[in-house]
Amino acid sequence: MSQSSLRVQVAPGLSLANPVIAASGTWGYGDETADLVDFRRLGAIICKGTTLKPRAGNPQPRIIEVTGGILNSVGLENIGVEALISEKAPAWATWRVPVIVNIAGDTVDEYGRLASKLDGVAGISGIEVNISCPNVKKGGMQFGTDPVCAAEVTSAVRKSTSLPVIVKLSPNVTDIAAIARAVELAGADAVSLINTLGGMSIDVKRRRPGLGNITGGLSGPAIKPIALSMVWKVAGCVKIPVIGCGGIMNAEDALEFIMAGATAVEVGTANLVNPQTALDIINGLRQFIRAEGIGNITDLRGAARL
Amino acid sequence: MKQLKAKVLSNDELLSYPGATYFLMRVHAPEIAAVSKPGQFCMLNCGPDVPLRRPLSIHRVHPRGDVFFLYSVRNPDAPDTSRITIKENGLISTSGKGTTWLSKVAPGSQLNIIGPLGNGFSIDNKSDNLLLAAGGIGIAPLMFLAERAVSLGSGVTLIAGARCKEGLYPDSLLPPGINIIRVVESVENNTRYIRGKVTDVIPLHLAGVKQIFACGPQAMLEAISNHVGNKAVTKPVQASLEVRMGCGLGTCYGCSIKTRQGMQRVCKDGPVFNIKDIIWQEVRI
Repeated sequence: MSQSSLRVQVAPGLSLANPVIAASGTWGYGDETADLVDFRRLGAIICKGTTLKPRAGNPQPRIIEVTGGILNSVGLENIGVEALISEKAPAWATWRVPVIVNIAGDTVDEYGRLASKLDGVAGISGIEVNISCPNVKKGGMQFGTDPVCAAEVTSAVRKSTSLPVIVKLSPNVTDIAAIARAVELAGADAVSLINTLGGMSIDVKRRRPGLGNITGGLSGPAIKPIALSMVWKVAGCVKIPVIGCGGIMNAEDALEFIMAGATAVEVGTANLVNPQTALDIINGLRQFIRAEGIGNITDLRGAARL
Repeated sequence: MKQLKAKVLSNDELLSYPGATYFLMRVHAPEIAAVSKPGQFCMLNCGPDVPLRRPLSIHRVHPRGDVFFLYSVRNPDAPDTSRITIKENGLISTSGKGTTWLSKVAPGSQLNIIGPLGNGFSIDNKSDNLLLAAGGIGIAPLMFLAERAVSLGSGVTLIAGARCKEGLYPDSLLPPGINIIRVVESVENNTRYIRGKVTDVIPLHLAGVKQIFACGPQAMLEAISNHVGNKAVTKPVQASLEVRMGCGLGTCYGCSIKTRQGMQRVCKDGPVFNIKDIIWQEVRI
């Protein structure tokens, strides 16, 4: 059976050789681990969250282990969109693996400007919109927690680019389905979920928060059941592709998301544990569909839904 | 940079003092040993209970293709070790779970290792005389450097500091041909030991020195850094930092620190930095 049996379409004009995507913030700008991993075999790479201007990120400590996962507060350290276009994209244009740029802004306008700058740049195959950022003009409330704000951001990006637009949803909301529907209506080609869950830890000996930023985002196996239930919910109420993300450590985890309705999956924390994980998952998916006699991975999409 | 399963050849207690026990582990990893530079490190898988790998300096390499790691494990009955432990272990976990697991790995086991990583120390061509300043477990990367420098024909003076004499690296394992100064906080001055701290002794051994290399607790590095500012130390100092790391590969930006050269990832742009570039309040280990 050929590799095309893993092929999936996550957005118009964005077809992936397999459904396994390296999640933003866990795969740098793509080729850092080239010595170790044949990254060109990934379904896609989503690069570090990128802002209009370079950002220094949060103070140390930025990453802490907790039971079942890790907490991070890297704080969007990145080189800025201009450097990304001039220094990173030219190499991406020579790769067969699509690179999707994750963008983050402080205002709706910034998201639009970022999308417009990325539009038409060779080597960039899509945009993932991080809406879990504080909206500076609305008192720091995250764009992603309000359907109206989330839709405004999506719409601004949609109008500024012809690239496929994936909106990454925050789980820190009361009704993720409402946000998903809002961004679908605003023109998103796909949604990815979930981003990290808000969390913190305290170092009892120092009597201080463990993270330099006090709070951060929880990722890893601990959040998988939450992510899965949110993917299940969202996949049941939108028509655009859903990309599942949250604590995926192996092929079985990935299959759970696909059977819940995801078209593709993002692997994040697992890349930090072992940079081979994403490729292992691809191999595991291939073995599974062969063993089950399934022609195409898409045949499993939503298989657990009755 | 390679990722491989390395066979553990030995993993023994090297020394113990009231605060910690040092272990010396030897693994067979020819692909890593062949390309390692002093000051580089490896990320080691430390068992099912700790998701992230642990960074360990390459302590030595053996031409047969073996890599040595020297690491410390906090003794469970040690008195208040909250901050000290973090520095002593130089590792991500305050509880030392990763290295505790590592210390129980039996010879013959396989360990998943990635390395060599980071930039490493750089010895200038004209450096015929090097001063190495090691505080506690900070001796780990400096022994590889000392061996390399001696093989290049440089003179090496090693100032090895410990809180008590039981914490000093054994003489029998020192590379031949180096000049050793043993500095101990809790000891009477005698011909063998100097009572005090590594930083007290450095200014006394600067004659003819071309480069200084330092690794140890942050307080020690910070003190050296201040000396550099005060002109008590006039030579360039390279310091190896040990901070929390996520991936160790430069992808997650979990270990980035603000330096005078901008944001730097300790794992990829370091762990060795020009000591003058480090802004200490940004390095909260």
